[in-house]
Amino acid sequence: MSRRSSPKSVALARIETAARPALKRASAVMALGGVLWPVQAGAAAYSIQSWAQGHPEGLMWAALLFIAVGAIRALLDHWAGGVLFRMADRLISDERHALLARESGRVEQAVSSASLAALAAQKLPLLTPYLTRYRPAMTRVMVVPLVLLVLTFSVSWAAGLVLLVAGPLIPVFMALIGIAAKQASERQMVEIGALNDLLIDRLSALADIRLLDATKQAETDFEDRAEGLRHRSMAVLRVAFLSSTVLELFSAIGVAMVAVYVGFSLLGELQFGTWGAELTLYQGVFLLLLAPEYFQPLRDLAAAWHDRAAALAVADEMDRLEATDGEAVPGDGGKAAPLKGEATIACRSAYVLRGGQPVALPDLTLMPGKVVALCGPSGSGKTSCLLALAGLVPPSDGEIRVADRTLDATTADAWRARLTFIPQAVHMPDMTLRRFLDPDETGADIDAALKAAHADRIVTALPDGLETRLGETGAGVSGGEARRFLVARAILRGADVVLADEPTADLDPDTAAILIASLRALADKGASVLIATHDPQVIAALDRSVYMPDTAATEGAQ
Amino acid sequence: MRVLWRAFRLIWSAAPWAMWRGALMYVTVLLMGAALLGLSGWFITATGIAGLAGIGIAFDVFRPSAGVRFLALGRAGTRYGERLLTHDATLRALSALRTSLMRRLSRLSLPEMQRLRGPLALTRITADVDALDGIVLRLGLPIAAAFLTHGLVFMALRWLTTPDMALTIAVGYLAGAALVMLRLAGATFSPSRAAERANQSLRRDTISMMRGRTDLYVQGRLQTHLAGLRAADDEMRAAMAQLDRVDREAGLVLSLLVSIVAGAALALGGHLVATDALDPARSAIGFFVALALAETVLPLRRGIAEIGRIRDAAENILQHEEQGTKTPRIGGQATGSGLKTDGLSYRRPGASTALLDGLRLRVNAGETVALVGPSGSGKSTLLALLAGTEPEYLGDIHVLDQDLRAYGERELRAVLTMVPQRSALIGGSILDNLALAKPDVSREEADAVLEAVQLAQVVARMGGLDGMLGESGAGLSGGESRRLVLARALLRRPDILLLDEPTEGLDTLTAEKVLAGIRAWLPDAAILMASHRRAEIESADRVFKLS
Repeated sequence: MSRRSSPKSVALARIETAARPALKRASAVMALGGVLWPVQAGAAAYSIQSWAQGHPEGLMWAALLFIAVGAIRALLDHWAGGVLFRMADRLISDERHALLARESGRVEQAVSSASLAALAAQKLPLLTPYLTRYRPAMTRVMVVPLVLLVLTFSVSWAAGLVLLVAGPLIPVFMALIGIAAKQASERQMVEIGALNDLLIDRLSALADIRLLDATKQAETDFEDRAEGLRHRSMAVLRVAFLSSTVLELFSAIGVAMVAVYVGFSLLGELQFGTWGAELTLYQGVFLLLLAPEYFQPLRDLAAAWHDRAAALAVADEMDRLEATDGEAVPGDGGKAAPLKGEATIACRSAYVLRGGQPVALPDLTLMPGKVVALCGPSGSGKTSCLLALAGLVPPSDGEIRVADRTLDATTADAWRARLTFIPQAVHMPDMTLRRFLDPDETGADIDAALKAAHADRIVTALPDGLETRLGETGAGVSGGEARRFLVARAILRGADVVLADEPTADLDPDTAAILIASLRALADKGASVLIATHDPQVIAALDRSVYMPDTAATEGAQ
Repeated sequence: MRVLWRAFRLIWSAAPWAMWRGALMYVTVLLMGAALLGLSGWFITATGIAGLAGIGIAFDVFRPSAGVRFLALGRAGTRYGERLLTHDATLRALSALRTSLMRRLSRLSLPEMQRLRGPLALTRITADVDALDGIVLRLGLPIAAAFLTHGLVFMALRWLTTPDMALTIAVGYLAGAALVMLRLAGATFSPSRAAERANQSLRRDTISMMRGRTDLYVQGRLQTHLAGLRAADDEMRAAMAQLDRVDREAGLVLSLLVSIVAGAALALGGHLVATDALDPARSAIGFFVALALAETVLPLRRGIAEIGRIRDAAENILQHEEQGTKTPRIGGQATGSGLKTDGLSYRRPGASTALLDGLRLRVNAGETVALVGPSGSGKSTLLALLAGTEPEYLGDIHVLDQDLRAYGERELRAVLTMVPQRSALIGGSILDNLALAKPDVSREEADAVLEAVQLAQVVARMGGLDGMLGESGAGLSGGESRRLVLARALLRRPDILLLDEPTEGLDTLTAEKVLAGIRAWLPDAAILMASHRRAEIESADRVFKLS
């Protein structure tokens, strides 16, 4: 069982390296606690021998020694546990922050938001028991049984032999069962995960299931799956219990054999096994007390075995995520003073990567006070173009100049500080509308901005006005309404560059016209506005059109 | 405490017979462990004395040594049986609990169901149920077994040793363990809750960071948000550190307890031998049994560490237990046609003014009516009322000329289908999703309905009806999911079809084709759709305005 674990995970190796000093210290202290047991055993054995020899008085010191050493062992364990917990806590927190910082900086998300959240909040903590239980148990299993074995041998080679044979036999049998168990439990882990996902999947569709009158069927289905989950879990548990039973069986047989051997030796019926002299009662009790502790570290390790399996699964997921290549968003997304200079954008023969494929950006120049249409059919890369101009995607080739500077990691944060980006699907975070519009609580005139963006009436219709919580857990607003809030926010921030992605999609003509008018009003105040659209009416209403490369020719056929 | 007790009974009562047998075996395991060490200790001490006295041959060694072997093997075997029984019974209870929760949830009203959305709320249900497994396995069973074992051991020790010895061990362990439980278990309540809350906000804020990343970058607030996550993490860590402290303290005190009780038994044994109250071999039994009984208190450590989490989970689940217990209505037979309301009024719970007031609306068979009005004017609420998922309304709703209140759930679903604004698909094949609406749907019909909603080509590209969708229908775009949801509703072939913004996310051309396809599929249905799109409004025969 002390074999090296199969191909090491990069993440786990890194964490273990960082954990090494604390692990060494704590494991050594825990092992020390383990090897102090013979002192307690000796005190008890001496007492009992004295009783039998007929002088049972004055043994209080032995009982007190027993208690005192027991207390020291408990304190050592307690202290080492604290060291281990603090180490694991710090390392896992570091890993969590590194993970979140890395994943939030990717241009293309590598995993779903929910999986990332589950990894950061729920799965990373599964590394704790691996660090605080499994690793120290590994150390103990290599030290404590050896010390106890040497002590046992020093008293009686026969008793030592019993332990020596029973001890290594345990790992052999455990390995046999373990191979089956590992395969079974790995398979089941995957299936349990999949089944759990499935339960969640059905639960999310509950309303639809009811409206489709499939409740009865879904319930039966659900029941089957819940029962299936139980069967599978039991299959894993059965193997796990079997292996721990084998372990207990061997340790029980070992202890029983030592007890019987000692008994017969003391009676004088067995004359072998010691180093010459006859076994004394003191030695007999001492041997009996050592035997169970000889097996204890092995049992601890077996109990921590599934901590290892869980940690390996988490580490595997971390490895996979770390190995996913991808570009990083330029800049760090922090606060920055707005980039100085005129609000211009110039793009010359630049490319960005989308799904690994280069997308050519149009050659365009954007000047303050103008509203320009970015045209092209769906899928031609309009959104990628806007993202690149917003400094959210680095160009793979060519250069984008903004306010007469190159747009790169050093200027991206400052550039974004003066622009507003209106995406097609606005994500409304779970916060009040007031905070959404004015996150820094500058106290700016929100009402005026809402009016200018023609969004004041939307607010009046909301249950709590500006204090309404929006987002997934709050009140819903339609896509068009959310876009108007973003225009209001642009006005509040004094943004002088506006990039809008299909702002009129799904809007009725009147609302669309209002939205375009408010964007136009921003330009009239000196902002540069670029609107990606394929709506001919919108294109006609703007100052100028730029076409996505390679698409101008096919545009007419649309 | 009451919550824990109720949850304990809930789990126990799912398979009481198995639980009782498991509990009996648990006690047997503990007793055998105590007997094993006690017998071994006695055997060695007694043989030692016999050896000293030179009466080795006369000593009966076979019965004790056979007993040692029997106890050693029996204990391991019984432990195996106990674990299988109690774990199986617990898992059975959890599985029954999951099913009953699901059943209750499916009786919630539609708005309540939709509020359940989001993987977070749902994992709570699964994670909470999982957390409950400790209530029997790590709390109830060990505590009950400890009491029983100590009771039985007390009587045995009184007989084998002296009442002093029996009392010292029983009182020492029980009082010590009770003290630990009372002092430490309560200390986990508030950090458990704090840790769970911080963990949830960490998850929620991570999700919202990833979904709102673009905006956070443009606003220059990503670092602020990351700092917020760090704060949530710190909060969680502080709570976890507190829990760890309680856990280690419990471990420390329980280990101390074992040393003290065993040490006391050793001291008392010496005293008993010195005063000739007991022979040395029997005195040794006291010490060895005290040592073996460590097994009755050490498992409590995990129970203590988990008790806070278990209590919170139990509270969440028992609260769900009370939800959704409304009785279903009794059904009737409808013979008329169309949909109409008369004097329909509705007020949201807690609202001061009525959302709908004296509404009069009629949709005839074969007619399409577009329901328009600004957002917040109650379009979706009206549809929910008409679909019979919100029973608290005033006035009348008639479905096929029969009072909605007289319908049973299944009768209503047989004639009326609603497609809410946000509909969910399920993981599985396209056909699985369609079969949800009609379990015996034929492949021909499935193909035809996909054709009607302009989805045939998309599905063909995905590998036909057996093409697989990921979790919640992942793999389809927004517009494609929408059309599959519509196809599902069409398979019900309802007399009344209620649609909430049916073509959201579709381009105009496709939207027009889909709307025509729906009408062609259901030529005689009364269709009412909440709309704001031109394509939808233009396809309607009539517009009904809500203000």
